[in-house]
Amino acid sequence: MNTGDARAEILRSIRTHLAMSSEPQIKMDLFEFPSKKAVPEVVQLFKQNLELVDGNCIVVNSGAEVEETVKRLTEGKKIASPDEPRSDLFKSEVGVTSAQAGIAETGTLVLDSSVDRNRLVSLVPPVHIAILDASRIYTTLGETLAALQSGEELSPAITFITGPSRTADIELTLAIGVHGPQELYVIINQNA
Amino acid sequence: MNQLSSETFAENAKAALGDAQLRGALRHATTIFGIKRREAAASLSNWEELRSQARAIKDEVLLHLDRYLETFVTNVENRGAKVHWARDAAEANAIITRLTTERGARNVVKSKSMTTEEIHLNAALERAGMQVVETDLGEYIIQLADETPSHIIAPAIHKTKRQVAELFTTELGMPPTDDVGELTSTARVTLRERFATADVGISGVNFGIVETGTIVIVENEGNIRLTTSLPRTHIAVMGIEKLLPRFADLDVFLKLLPRSGTGQALSTYQSFITGTKRNASDEGPEEFHIVLLDNGRSRMLAHPVTRQSLACIRCGACLNSCPVYQQIGGHAYGSVYPGPIGSVITPQLMGIQKAAQLPYASSLCGACREVCPVKIDIPRLLLHLRGEISEKQPSGRRKERLAFKLWAAIMTRPKLYEKTAIAARLFQRWFKLPVRAWTTGRDLRHIEAESFREHWRRTR
Repeated sequence: MNTGDARAEILRSIRTHLAMSSEPQIKMDLFEFPSKKAVPEVVQLFKQNLELVDGNCIVVNSGAEVEETVKRLTEGKKIASPDEPRSDLFKSEVGVTSAQAGIAETGTLVLDSSVDRNRLVSLVPPVHIAILDASRIYTTLGETLAALQSGEELSPAITFITGPSRTADIELTLAIGVHGPQELYVIINQNA
Repeated sequence: MNQLSSETFAENAKAALGDAQLRGALRHATTIFGIKRREAAASLSNWEELRSQARAIKDEVLLHLDRYLETFVTNVENRGAKVHWARDAAEANAIITRLTTERGARNVVKSKSMTTEEIHLNAALERAGMQVVETDLGEYIIQLADETPSHIIAPAIHKTKRQVAELFTTELGMPPTDDVGELTSTARVTLRERFATADVGISGVNFGIVETGTIVIVENEGNIRLTTSLPRTHIAVMGIEKLLPRFADLDVFLKLLPRSGTGQALSTYQSFITGTKRNASDEGPEEFHIVLLDNGRSRMLAHPVTRQSLACIRCGACLNSCPVYQQIGGHAYGSVYPGPIGSVITPQLMGIQKAAQLPYASSLCGACREVCPVKIDIPRLLLHLRGEISEKQPSGRRKERLAFKLWAAIMTRPKLYEKTAIAARLFQRWFKLPVRAWTTGRDLRHIEAESFREHWRRTR
């Protein structure tokens, strides 16, 4: 094994080898982000793209309807909580979280761990139900990335979720729900 | 482990060509991947622009890699993570073994990472007494079979579902089935037990964002999320070239990577991890370590041609498009990285003597360059490496060098050319013998009784 300061040696190696190649500095084009448009169709676009990747989308009109839908979907099932011991969490049947943003062009949910303790509840149970306000849906990936960065500091864990867990590792045959949820429900409140 | 060597590439390839089942599996997989990639690329109107932008971003990072690395490390460490620098595979393995041993770890869960394959991390951890389990379904299959990955993004692409079923019956005691869904849920249940008791989670990294100190990991299964959320300690292993300057650069790379790899608009999960958790009540690991690996990468910066190799985002598109890979698969290359990109990075990482056959494992058709999302000119790189090999081993390819010198002499002298052509026409029947090395894979064109020049002189 090597001894000495690996950091210094790697940086020295990078500088030495870069100096060997004579190349002008490349100028970068900066990207421009389109401003967020209030597109009324974003909800439909989101739904359409989520369904393309085997997710379920339920559009409702009020907070009361959101509650009703959650109740209907979780009826008789063991609901996961972030506070329970891991062994119990692994036995839970459904996880309910909020989503902090959505990306319409891909049907993607954005979960921010600093807002809601959503990391395990959205991942471990076989069913994940996410509640998303229509006003938090952006059209494009670029807009969403810009919005995420607008705060002072990025949260320790941000997760993008596009549909239920999937794999095609055996003969490229699609199988749903390999490690994460087998079913994903997104409830969008149109008036929030 | 039954692993082939790059040094016996020609024999490996010949054996693979005789394996009808392997070739069937490869034809199926590379065709589907190819179709999906084309459709996904066509769904964006600015695909070519995105490729150029991606390459410009990567070039910018690579040309100032020292500064970007230092800033990245500062930003990561300011947010509570610890960075370790590893000059080579042995140093990286020693660091990771020390971290796991010091924490009294027994059970290690891993998510798919080509970089950890490159350093043979599992073997090192097992020598230290750890139980290491690969949790990506494809990686899990090949771990059970004691094999190596044969594709960058679909490690078990060479196996049929029947072979996987037999493996699961023997290793996991599962009743025989050829239902892919049942095989998948058996893996889910078995691996859940491992996740529940894991002390350390080890992942790779797709992108390291300099300005925010974030690592981004892309996947479909959810095993990366489990690996990076459940255990007390998370160790991420990344090559020093994985950086992107700005968070906004992801707008380019998250469009290119999934579309080029699997043909998806976006992979199911992207995990953006920025430092450790901030409050005691937060979920996630207590400790977060990043191991930065050089292992021959900084050397590639020395020349604009070789430097391109470091722009690779490991999407696997060049493998699927390559007529050589399509026929022989990944194992024949005898290296962790197969296909066109493997043929250029393996000789540079491992030393050119150990993989001197790989730069010749190409017809230079250029399909890899066409599909590469970061526009790496792989044929140019292959030629560059062939040149290096020829310079370094003048004795090994003496006949080839002599033949090309002779060829050049004839082609640059019109008189000599004409005389040689006449001689070649007269003796073409005997001429085939000395150039057999050339003609076994190519046709030697028949030389007509009258050349164009002769015809012109006679009839004008």
